[in-house]
Amino acid sequence: MSANIFIEFVINVLSMGSLYALIALGLVFVYGICNLVNFAYGEFITVSAYVLYFVGTFTDLPWWLVFLIAIGSGALTGFLSELIAFRPFRGRSLDALLVTSFAVSIILQRSFQLGISPRSRAVPVPDFFNINVSLLGVVTPLRNMLLIGTTIILLIAVLILMRRTSLGIAMRGASENFVTARLMGVPANLVISIAFVISGILAGVVAIFWSARTGSVEPMMGSGPLLIGFISVVIGGMQSLVGAVVGGYVYAFIANMLSLTLPSSLLSFRDAIMFVIVIAFLVLKPEGLIRGKYQEERVG
Amino acid sequence: MKKRMIMILVFVLVLALSLMSMAGCDRREGSESVDNGDKLIIGGAMSVTGIQGSLDSPAMEGVELAIAEVNAAGGIDGKMLEFRNMDSKSDSATAAEVAKQLVDQGAVAIITSSDYDFGGPAARAAQEAGIVGISPSASSPLFGSEMLGDKQFTLSMWNTTMGAVMAEKAYGDGMRTAYVVTDDFIDYTKSLSRYFVECFEKLGGEVLLEDVFSQGRLDTAALIAHYKALPEVPDFIYISSYMPDLGTLIKEMRTAGIDSPIYGGDAYDDPALFELLGEDFGNDIYWDSHSFNSEEAVPGFNEYYAAYKEMYGRDVDAPWSMAGYDVVMVLSEAMKEVGTDGAKMAKYMEDNSFECMTGTLDWSDAASGHEPNKAAAIMKLVDGKSVFLGWATPEYLPEP
Repeated sequence: MSANIFIEFVINVLSMGSLYALIALGLVFVYGICNLVNFAYGEFITVSAYVLYFVGTFTDLPWWLVFLIAIGSGALTGFLSELIAFRPFRGRSLDALLVTSFAVSIILQRSFQLGISPRSRAVPVPDFFNINVSLLGVVTPLRNMLLIGTTIILLIAVLILMRRTSLGIAMRGASENFVTARLMGVPANLVISIAFVISGILAGVVAIFWSARTGSVEPMMGSGPLLIGFISVVIGGMQSLVGAVVGGYVYAFIANMLSLTLPSSLLSFRDAIMFVIVIAFLVLKPEGLIRGKYQEERVG
Repeated sequence: MKKRMIMILVFVLVLALSLMSMAGCDRREGSESVDNGDKLIIGGAMSVTGIQGSLDSPAMEGVELAIAEVNAAGGIDGKMLEFRNMDSKSDSATAAEVAKQLVDQGAVAIITSSDYDFGGPAARAAQEAGIVGISPSASSPLFGSEMLGDKQFTLSMWNTTMGAVMAEKAYGDGMRTAYVVTDDFIDYTKSLSRYFVECFEKLGGEVLLEDVFSQGRLDTAALIAHYKALPEVPDFIYISSYMPDLGTLIKEMRTAGIDSPIYGGDAYDDPALFELLGEDFGNDIYWDSHSFNSEEAVPGFNEYYAAYKEMYGRDVDAPWSMAGYDVVMVLSEAMKEVGTDGAKMAKYMEDNSFECMTGTLDWSDAASGHEPNKAAAIMKLVDGKSVFLGWATPEYLPEP
């Protein structure tokens, strides 16, 4: 492997891994607190991407404000979906919550298809996203560097939130043992709402970088990141935030490694190979690379 | 109890939304010989939702425009046309199902999705019912009488033409070496590359590498790495794919500094692609398709444009709408001449040639597959805007 290819590989793994880590983190935030695998998470991302498209195309607002509005819309979607769809079922069976998340996902997807258009829409991104920068002799778009930087900042922010604030401590408590945390006076509604809002914020950030890469948004776009998020958390571990981040980077590493080494004729089997690896994880190491502190079934 | 009620409500909502997408669906009981009185139903098994929706929805606009025009001119022998579309949801099983329902409702012809994989099952259902099925722009050579039956047509040129025209165009532009990327998504994407490569190699061109990826699982990093590892820089790139991944791939290649010309087929004919590439990346891209939005390319376009704008309140964007318009015009002409009998309509369509918004069209007979004899419009992208270069028919046409 020549030096250039190696550096390119590292940049690809770091930038893709950062995106995947953010996706996985958004999923695990909600799973950790409510034990809910949120199938509507992909649609949170789609909502933000559509907001990027609408605000970016039809207003003259500066790009940073457009980004903030998109992230805000992700947070709002998270908050509202919890309030309207998930809260009424809390405390009931996990199956009910799971089905609800499917329902939210389908309702949102269908709304985009019928209310906006089944056709893809070009999402405007600021010019500097597509500028190429040269790093150690390798040319890469600036947005990859921005993505890595943004992820580091967000991970530090999450770390501070979880370790240093009373809200974070309450959330960690709730994620380890929800019933006990409630008995200790942790307000359930607040903690769960905040988990959904944080998940929505992460979805908003993901939407920016995902649509900057694809250049467009369409009603089904959420399914791609959702699948990646699932695979990452299966690899990393459903129970821990660190696991989600590790899972994201490991996924990016394996995917890039396969892309680089598989011959063209086998390239279309890359995902099949990825799924085999995931199945292997589920069979051999169901708790993922990073174990959470408590593995028992919780009741939300 | 309250929570259970809410849960039921959610299910009802989901169900209602799913049903909403079956636009215009009012299934009737008693399917045997439906008397539709003074109207003729044209059934639509086109996709409003899913990946095919982006091609079918403009075609559907053209269909509705043509129906309004035919009715304004007095309909067919005093009977008004009614277009009834049921969303086939970009799903082959659903396409067959909705086509059967439309047949039950007394449809005299079925307009299918603009693709063989998504539209073929609806055509089969039409064939079983003995009526004409026609796709506005399915271009796979599988979409014809050989695979689907003697009453099934596509208004589009086949991929044999689409691939050959671009091979001759590229070769004529002085291109000798190609890097070919094929999306193995559907027969359209696969067969287009196959015919392109066959024609390009026959002309004397060389394909340095053929890469494959799957729609929805695009790995741009791998394709770009393969491109960069080629023994020599190819003269051009041929990509056969579908939106949205098509747009992502071109954009990523351009971002990675790959500025070779890119050639492709009618999937490029999407305003979303032009907008996505913009001024920065929207250059040196060539494709062939069914039509072009200008009077210069399509005599009568201005009139079409005015009617379209009056009906929808906006400009014509994707030229796909003209294919939908043409389908209705061809069906109406056949019905005017020979009535609504499927076999007679099919015979009329085989025997005559049609002046369409998408060019002159002449189908071969059922024994030779209803092969459409049609020219392709060639376009290029300049600063993110599509420019019409001319109509072309290939000198060499590969066997389907």
